[in-house]
Amino acid sequence: MERVLEDFVTAARTAGVRISISETLDAVRAVKVVGYRDRALLKDALAVSMAKTAGEKTILEDCFERFFTFRLFAADPDRASKNTDMPSLLQTESSLVRLLMEEDRAGLIGAMTEAARLENISQIRYFTQRSLFALRILGRMGAGGLDGQIQNLGRIDTPAAAAEKARLESAKAYLVDNVRNYVQSQYDLFARNEGERRLESELRLVKLSNLEQRYFARIHNIIQRMVKRLNDLHSRRRKAARRGVLDFKRTLRENISYQGMLFAPSWKRKKIERPQIVVICDISRSVLRTVRFLLLFLYGLNQEIAKIRTFVFCTNLVEVSEILGNSPVDEALARIQGGTNIPLIMGRTDYERSLGDFRRDHIAAVTRKTTVLVLGDARNNYNDPHPENLKAIYERCKRLIWLNPEVPAFWGSGDSEISHYKPYYTMIKECNTLEHIERLISALVRR
Amino acid sequence: MKSRYEEQFASIDAVLGNLRDVAYIANRQMAMTVYLACRLEKPILVEGPAGVGKTELAKATAACLQLPLIRLQCYEGLDESKALYEWKYGKQLLYTQLLKDKMDDIISRGNGFKTAMDKLHQYDDIFFSWPFLEPRPLLKALQEKDGCVLLIDEIDKSDDEFEAFLLEILSDFQVSVPEIGTVQAITKPLVFLTSNNTRELSEALKRRCLHLYISFPEAALEREIIRRRVPDISEHLTQQVVNFIHDVRKLDLKKVPSISETIDWARVLVILHAETLDPALVRDTLNIFIKFEDDVGVVAEKVHQLTAMAVK
Repeated sequence: MERVLEDFVTAARTAGVRISISETLDAVRAVKVVGYRDRALLKDALAVSMAKTAGEKTILEDCFERFFTFRLFAADPDRASKNTDMPSLLQTESSLVRLLMEEDRAGLIGAMTEAARLENISQIRYFTQRSLFALRILGRMGAGGLDGQIQNLGRIDTPAAAAEKARLESAKAYLVDNVRNYVQSQYDLFARNEGERRLESELRLVKLSNLEQRYFARIHNIIQRMVKRLNDLHSRRRKAARRGVLDFKRTLRENISYQGMLFAPSWKRKKIERPQIVVICDISRSVLRTVRFLLLFLYGLNQEIAKIRTFVFCTNLVEVSEILGNSPVDEALARIQGGTNIPLIMGRTDYERSLGDFRRDHIAAVTRKTTVLVLGDARNNYNDPHPENLKAIYERCKRLIWLNPEVPAFWGSGDSEISHYKPYYTMIKECNTLEHIERLISALVRR
Repeated sequence: MKSRYEEQFASIDAVLGNLRDVAYIANRQMAMTVYLACRLEKPILVEGPAGVGKTELAKATAACLQLPLIRLQCYEGLDESKALYEWKYGKQLLYTQLLKDKMDDIISRGNGFKTAMDKLHQYDDIFFSWPFLEPRPLLKALQEKDGCVLLIDEIDKSDDEFEAFLLEILSDFQVSVPEIGTVQAITKPLVFLTSNNTRELSEALKRRCLHLYISFPEAALEREIIRRRVPDISEHLTQQVVNFIHDVRKLDLKKVPSISETIDWARVLVILHAETLDPALVRDTLNIFIKFEDDVGVVAEKVHQLTAMAVK
């Protein structure tokens, strides 16, 4: 029976419930206690030991209903009226024929699930495998013998034999039909979400600029999960960094009340340095997509980052930290582009003027603790790049990271001025997929 | 030897019956979770809206088993010294003062610094031993001879660190006190953790627990609960009260009334000698089960309609 439970776990995992090995073990133990006799009880026991949120519980219950279903081999109305005497013409050594003729539902289901188990139906992944599995299961159940019998009957030329043959053929059709249905239901159970999962792993690698609008919701989901993972990872590490060595002076001071006996030692605390980030984004059309996802990421990480200030530029530069702080990133970006109440000129991209604006008005935002992220393709429409503006920023900050949404082969080609800016950034990274963004951010918060 | 848990909770029906005897009406799923927790020796993580009887379940279980209930209320900033143990500093200090002469005696008897040190070493553990240890709820729970019911209430209010700290207790029923060593549970306690979902609990914690979600009960179950908790109420009124509350729960409110509020309301109605619900009475007693000003407005508007439906 443990094999059944194993398959159920696989099915539940496919449906999106996260079940670890220890939970499987718990479920096995729980089932041992409650037994398989009471269906509702079994369902509750599995739900209690496997699902860990109310949402997972509903998924699991649904999965349970689909997994432990026995609606197969329902009585066929066309065949129900026929008599069930064993035909004399048949050699009945084949158990399958006997089961079919006697319409032994339980026997048929047993034979089929056993055959399916031997064929490892839980390994089914693609819809193209369905016929193969159906065929193999039929083979294991002994459909070959059934065919042989039909052929044998075909050779005998009597009306009785013809009637028998017709009967066997309808029985075979009935069998094939049911096996097909069964395989389909198993496919639904074990592989239905497989496609989604593959899509997800591909979405992480696809160029953000090529991304179709309809996948945006999904990407947001992925980003949320990535952000949560990063938050979990780094909050734990931060706590470890907090532990320090004995603070002797403070210990002495605090233990004066115990007459100088050192009862309560106190420890030095390491100061936690959270990165301060200034983001300077080009939001011309070529870069906008990447900006959007980068900002989604950054603003999700609010716990880990002390302070973010965001500036966007196209022809000139404006600060948008406030808009981004007050509304969700999507909405904020729409507002920024719509340009209501924002003195942003969406003309040709002008790095000279924009970085100049920053140097003139906002240079105070950059201190020795600041990491500056510049996101842009450095395509300056053949104007003078004026790298000294970037130099001024670079000299004040802790590090300056340039994120380029173009593939490295294009850097420096045409009107790309990236080579002029080269001396003034700490590093440059290609940034055009979710993977890139995730790696960058995790490097940022890792310090 | 069979443990107390297995004696009292021999089957799921026994759990149901025993809980009923202490006036806690559970559904089958809850009973089964408690039963499983006893058998598998795993903690139960109880989630659900406020006031559906999460804490009450632990109390009722303790009453059934006739075991002490040890309760640890979680809050932000709760740490080891408040949850697990603390050294009795005052006592340590007092004893050192009292024994000062003795110490001088011991030390001065030897000759030389090293001998004195060696002698001191023979005694140094005395001040960090059981008599100077103040056990807090978690340690107390492990020390109970016959076992106990340990209720860790509102775990979601505590910090992440505390949650991580609980893991050792929840999986192995032991704690480590550096000066003494590892303390094993004499009898494993039955642990209930409750959470209101104000923040997501860590995977590690969830993995160690059986997960029970209590939602609002069905009308029939809720009627039974009221009958148990408010014995003086008439059958007729119970029906109306439960119908009314169920309709109110369907409204779009900030905080929907839960079982504890239904019980409170029923009690109030009994005190007021109400025979049947009428709009004026409902309006006067609305604040018993509606806790927000805005919500009061929403319900007050519909009192006539709701009362008519409930009384019907």
